[in-house]
Amino acid sequence: MKKIEVHFTLFILVITGCLSVSIAQDSSVSNNGMVATAHPLASRAAIEMLKSGGNAIDAAVAAAFAIGVVEPDGSGLGGGGGMVIYLKERGESYYINYYARASERGSEAGYSGSKDAQTAKAICVPGTVAGLTMAHEKFGTLSLSKVLEPAIRYASEGFEIDATLAKLILDNIETIMADEATMNIFCEDGFPLMEGDRIVQKELGQTLSVIAKKGRKGFYEGELAESMVRSIADRGGVLTLNDFASYEAQFTTPLYGTYRGYDIVTANAPQSGLCLIEALNILENYDLKNAPHYSESAEVLHLIAETERFVYADRTAYLGDPQVADVPINGLISKEYGTQRFHQINKERLDPPRYRDVEEGDPFPFVKKDLVPVTEEEDLSGEGHTTHLSVIDKEGNCVALTQTLGLFFGSGQTVNGVLFNCAMTNFAYRSKNSINLYKDGKQSRSSILPTIILKEGEPFLITGSPGAARIIATVIEVVINMIDYEMNVTEANLAPRFFVRDSEDFLYLESGIKQQVRVQLEEMGHTLRVYEGIDLFFGGVQMIYINPEDKKYYGSADKRRGGMAIGY
Amino acid sequence: MHNHKTSNIILNNIIMRHITLKFSMVFLLAALSFFTVAQTFQQPVLISSAGQSADVKLVKMLASREKLDANTILMAKPSDLEGIKTLIIVPGFSSKGLGAAGISQEDEMNRVQELVNAANSKEIPIILMHIGGNARRKGQSDAFNALIGNNAKHMIVVAQGNEDNFFTDIASAKNIPLEVVEKISETGAPLGKLFQ
Repeated sequence: MKKIEVHFTLFILVITGCLSVSIAQDSSVSNNGMVATAHPLASRAAIEMLKSGGNAIDAAVAAAFAIGVVEPDGSGLGGGGGMVIYLKERGESYYINYYARASERGSEAGYSGSKDAQTAKAICVPGTVAGLTMAHEKFGTLSLSKVLEPAIRYASEGFEIDATLAKLILDNIETIMADEATMNIFCEDGFPLMEGDRIVQKELGQTLSVIAKKGRKGFYEGELAESMVRSIADRGGVLTLNDFASYEAQFTTPLYGTYRGYDIVTANAPQSGLCLIEALNILENYDLKNAPHYSESAEVLHLIAETERFVYADRTAYLGDPQVADVPINGLISKEYGTQRFHQINKERLDPPRYRDVEEGDPFPFVKKDLVPVTEEEDLSGEGHTTHLSVIDKEGNCVALTQTLGLFFGSGQTVNGVLFNCAMTNFAYRSKNSINLYKDGKQSRSSILPTIILKEGEPFLITGSPGAARIIATVIEVVINMIDYEMNVTEANLAPRFFVRDSEDFLYLESGIKQQVRVQLEEMGHTLRVYEGIDLFFGGVQMIYINPEDKKYYGSADKRRGGMAIGY
Repeated sequence: MHNHKTSNIILNNIIMRHITLKFSMVFLLAALSFFTVAQTFQQPVLISSAGQSADVKLVKMLASREKLDANTILMAKPSDLEGIKTLIIVPGFSSKGLGAAGISQEDEMNRVQELVNAANSKEIPIILMHIGGNARRKGQSDAFNALIGNNAKHMIVVAQGNEDNFFTDIASAKNIPLEVVEKISETGAPLGKLFQ
C-alpha cells in the first residue's frame, strides 16, 4: 500500500463521523461467499440462498428481487437492468440485458420531455422479471419459489424504513403524492413515512407470489399483465399486451477489455460498459501507479476528469441500441483509439474551456470488422434511479448486477404493487440525428455498467454503481483506486469522487479533494461545485475484492447509500 | 427461567425509565413554551425553504389545510417580503433540490442569509418548521437549521429531528417557544394556532 493509505484512513474517520445517514456493516471478509448490496435485508436474502446450497446466481437473483422491495426507490419489478455473470469452472462470462424497452406503440403516449418524466407517459416495458427469471433458469440451482421467498416476506410482512429511504421519500414526495397507489405505500394520513416507520407492500407481495408460482409468464401474460396495461392506459401511458408477452431479456456476450494486465468484463451496448473500457484505455497511457492520488494532485485529477469528459462526449455521439443503430463499439474500445484520445487531452488546462464544447472523437478508423460482433444473440431457443449488487460464491462464480427504475421512484406510478420505470426519459427527442433518438420498440442507452474484473482467469473485483450519468465516472475512479493506487476495498470505496461530463457546466467533487487541489483546478480553468463530505449524488458502489494471495473475499458497501456487505 | 425473569425486570425498568424520560422531556418542552415570550403572528405569510428540500411543499400543504393566507416561494428573495407579516422557513438540505434549482450550497446559504436579514430589518417574525426528522439533520442540513433557529421567534419541530436536543438548546438560548410533535401530520395544528 502507498503512503496515501494514511491520508485516507484519516479521511474515512472524518467522513464516518459526519455522516448523516446510519451506517450499516459496510465491509466484511469471508471465505465461502460474499454479497454487497444497498440494503442489509437484500444482502441477507442472498446469504440465505448461499447457505441453502444455492450458487451466486441464486443469491444474486434473490437479492435483486429483494432489493426491489426494500429499496423500492431504486429498482423493482417495474424496471430493468443488466447483469454480468462469470462462471469460474467454465471460465465463461455472459451478459443479460433486461433493460426496459419502449412500447411498440410508445409514441402514442405523447411523451414530451421532462414535464412528463414522472408520469405514466414515461413508462417503458419492464424487463426485471424477464432478466432475473432468465438468469435463474439458465444457471440457478434452487427453485424459483425458494429464491423469491425473502422478497415476498419483506413485502408482505414489512420492514423498517432506513435513513436513506426516509430521505428519498421526502426528497421525492411530490412524485409519490401524484399517484394514489404510490402514496398509499409511502405515506400515512397523507404524509410521508419516516425513518423507523414500518412499510408493508401487500400487493407487491401478491405479485411476487404469482411470479414464484408461474415464473416469467405470471408477470408478462394473463391477469397481471392485463391489469397493468389497463391501469397504465387509464393514466395516459401506453403499453400493450403484446409488449408484455413479447418482451425477452437478451442473453449476450459481455464486453471485454483489458487494463494493466487485468481483464475487464462489463455491460454490453446500449449499456455503458464500453465507456469504462474506453476510459481505462485512455488512462493506460499515463503512469497513474507512480503518480499522486487524484485527491492530492490537480494535474492527475484534471487528466482523469478530461478523460471522463471525452468519454461522455463519445457516449453521447455513438452509444445507442445496436439492434437499430451502427454503434462503433470495437473502435471505441480499441487501445489505439484510447491512445489517440489521450493525446487529444490538454494536460495543463481545460480545453475546450466550456465543458459542453468538447467534441467526440472518430472511432470509425479503429473499428475492426473481423472482431466478433459484441452483441450477438446466443441461440438458446426454449430457454428463455438504480441499484447495484455484487455476489460471489465459494466456487468463485460471480455476478455483478445493476438495475433501475430510471429516476428515483421511476414514473411514480404503481399498479399491482409494482412501481413502474420512467425509461422514456433516457431517449433523445430533440436532436433528430442522435443515435439515441426515440423509436417505438427501441431500447435507450443507459449508464449502467455492472463489471467483473479478472486477473489470469481469477476473479479480482466485482463492482458497479447506481447514480445516473455519474455511474461511469464513479466506476472509473473506483477501478483505478483498486488497480493503480492499490487501495483496499474500503478505502477505494470511500475515496472522494468527482464527476464531469459533456452536458454539464461544472466539475462536481466531494470535499475530500484537497483544498489546494481545488484552487489549482480553478486556475486550470475548471468551475467547481463542491459537496461536503460524501454524497449519494456520486453513486453507491457495492463491490467485492478477491485477494489473489489469501483468496479471501472482501466486501464493501458504499457509505453513501447505507448498504451492507455480508460474508459467510 | 431465572435469567428470563431477570431479563424481563431489566427490560421493564428500561421501558419505565424511557417512559419517565419521555414525559420529563415533554414537560420540560411544555414549560419552555409556557415561560417564553409569546409572539403574535399575522397573515399574509410567505413560506420558503432553506436548503431546497421538498419538505417546504409539505408545509405548504399543511398551511393550506390550516387555511392560512400563504404564498410559497422556494427561492424567496428580500423583495418577496413586500406586504408579508410572517415568514415561515423550512430548513433542510437536499442535493436533489439544489440541483433542480441549479445552485450551489453556498449560493443557497447566501440567499437564505439575505432573506433572514431582510425579514429581521423589517421586523417580520420567522417561524422555523423542521419536519424532516433525521433526514434533515446533521450533514449539510445543520448549517441551515442553526441559521433559521437562531433567527426564529417560534419553532415547530418533528421529534425525530430533535433527539439530540439540537432545537431545544437553541430555544433555551434564544428564549423562544419550541413545539415538538411526533409526526409530520401533527405539525399543522400548532401552526394554525399561532395565527388564531
